[in-house]
Amino acid sequence: MSENIERRRFLKCLGASSLIIAPLGCSSIEEESDANKPHYVMVFDQNKCTGCGECKDACNVTNNLPDGKSRMIMEQQSGGVAGETCPHCGKKNCDCERKYVRVSCQQCKNAPCVTVCPTGAAHRDEKTGIVTMDASKCAGCKYCIGACPYDARFINKETDVADNCDFCLNTKLSKGELPACVQQCRYDALIFGDANDPTSYVSKLLRVKDSVRIKPGFGTEPSLRYIPIVKLGV
Amino acid sequence: MDGTIDFTMGLSQGIAWPWPIAVYLFFAGISGGALATAIFIRFYKKQTENTAFYKAAAIISFVTISLGMLCLVLDLTNPLFFWRILVYYNLNSVMSIGVIALTAYIPLTAIIALLALEDELRAIPALKVLMPVIEKLKAVRKPMEVMVLILALSVCAYTGFLISALIRFPIINTSVLPALFIASGISAGAASAKMLAVSLFKEDLHSQDMKLLHGAEWPIMFAEAMFIFMIATSLMTGNAGAQSAFAAFHTGEWANVFWFGVIGIGFAGPLLLNFATSKSFSHSAKAFYASGVCAVTGMMCLRLFILYAGQNFAI
Repeated sequence: MSENIERRRFLKCLGASSLIIAPLGCSSIEEESDANKPHYVMVFDQNKCTGCGECKDACNVTNNLPDGKSRMIMEQQSGGVAGETCPHCGKKNCDCERKYVRVSCQQCKNAPCVTVCPTGAAHRDEKTGIVTMDASKCAGCKYCIGACPYDARFINKETDVADNCDFCLNTKLSKGELPACVQQCRYDALIFGDANDPTSYVSKLLRVKDSVRIKPGFGTEPSLRYIPIVKLGV
Repeated sequence: MDGTIDFTMGLSQGIAWPWPIAVYLFFAGISGGALATAIFIRFYKKQTENTAFYKAAAIISFVTISLGMLCLVLDLTNPLFFWRILVYYNLNSVMSIGVIALTAYIPLTAIIALLALEDELRAIPALKVLMPVIEKLKAVRKPMEVMVLILALSVCAYTGFLISALIRFPIINTSVLPALFIASGISAGAASAKMLAVSLFKEDLHSQDMKLLHGAEWPIMFAEAMFIFMIATSLMTGNAGAQSAFAAFHTGEWANVFWFGVIGIGFAGPLLLNFATSKSFSHSAKAFYASGVCAVTGMMCLRLFILYAGQNFAI
């Protein structure tokens, strides 16, 4: 009996509050204009990455990067506890449990590099919203490198200007292809697509999978999402 | 950070802004500080002649800002790309706004120096061509001085805003930084202009201008110390990231630069020279130059500490 009243009251409140809140939500103009534009995101699945490094090689070849510099690197992280013996191999220092993390431009929605760039060389591509470089405008002041909370920008030694991962905007996306690293990955550890398109695989994936962003506290809203390793049998 | 993903490697390898930027911040601070002080005294005391201090400040501000620009350009990955900063603008960028301020400030400091050194230039026959120009510029001297006073303080403050926009460094990303840079710029700028006024333009050590400057020195130094204290306290009592950056004050070589350079030479030096010595020594030329050099050295150490310790402690 009392449960019934509770439910009725709950539904009443729900109806009333939705009447008040719904118009507020609909009146947001920004939301609407955002939805028309694509929001390209990349998902890195740590469970699937084996650290083979072929994504990096593919990126270097596609984007013609000089030796020793890359738009992305893989960081190997050990899950072991320092000073304790590994339960697998019995050694104190091991990397039995290997985890890899993709280190590259996070493609922030609120990108500090774009804000601080004095010349507008670090900018957002109008059509795709992807953060990219206009190398002909860059003065090489390195302000964007200092401003990036992810340390994901660098100076291309051949051109003397700043560089970042732009999801292969000019080398692949413009031809309708997927970014080079995504094409190369044999383990499906990288997924790329438009998060504003509800039918895209990325949208569906993000709906069902838990993913995290790196350093969300900076409020930069990265478009690169990570699916952390899932431990089995613990 | 429990249970989330993070990476510690970076692509840029090393700190983005090395020592030439610290030297630039130092020169820009001295330039703005010296000129702002001189013009402020000129307005305050309603001076119409070119005083020794005004001349010295005009020379210093023009020379230091030019040297600062040289540091800035040489620090670019390719100095030949410098023109791009002057051609393309992004008004969201502090640096771009600073460029606009500097493009007005630098020519104005040159004009102020020309007007201030009128008598000296007249003595050189080769520079006779400049005289009609100086005569014409005299007509707009007052508005130019008002403008350059505002710009000088803006340049000091801008160097603080420039680096405080770097959000990942708790020591650098503080709202007090522009105020600290104005205060330290004024104290070092005034000190260097004072030294030049006495050595080059034979200003009396105990003239009216010098007395006024000596009086202003201590409150400015107190403000500076307070701003540094504010930054340290906010880091010490802040979140984990801020607290980890507080280590910059007690560990590593930059802590030494802070304690010996900023606190020891910059603050304790002038205080001891003026208040812990006999009256005859503290009023001597030796003590005057020594405390001036202390103020300037302390300021350079402060810029180095903020820039290097700041970039070493990222979150």
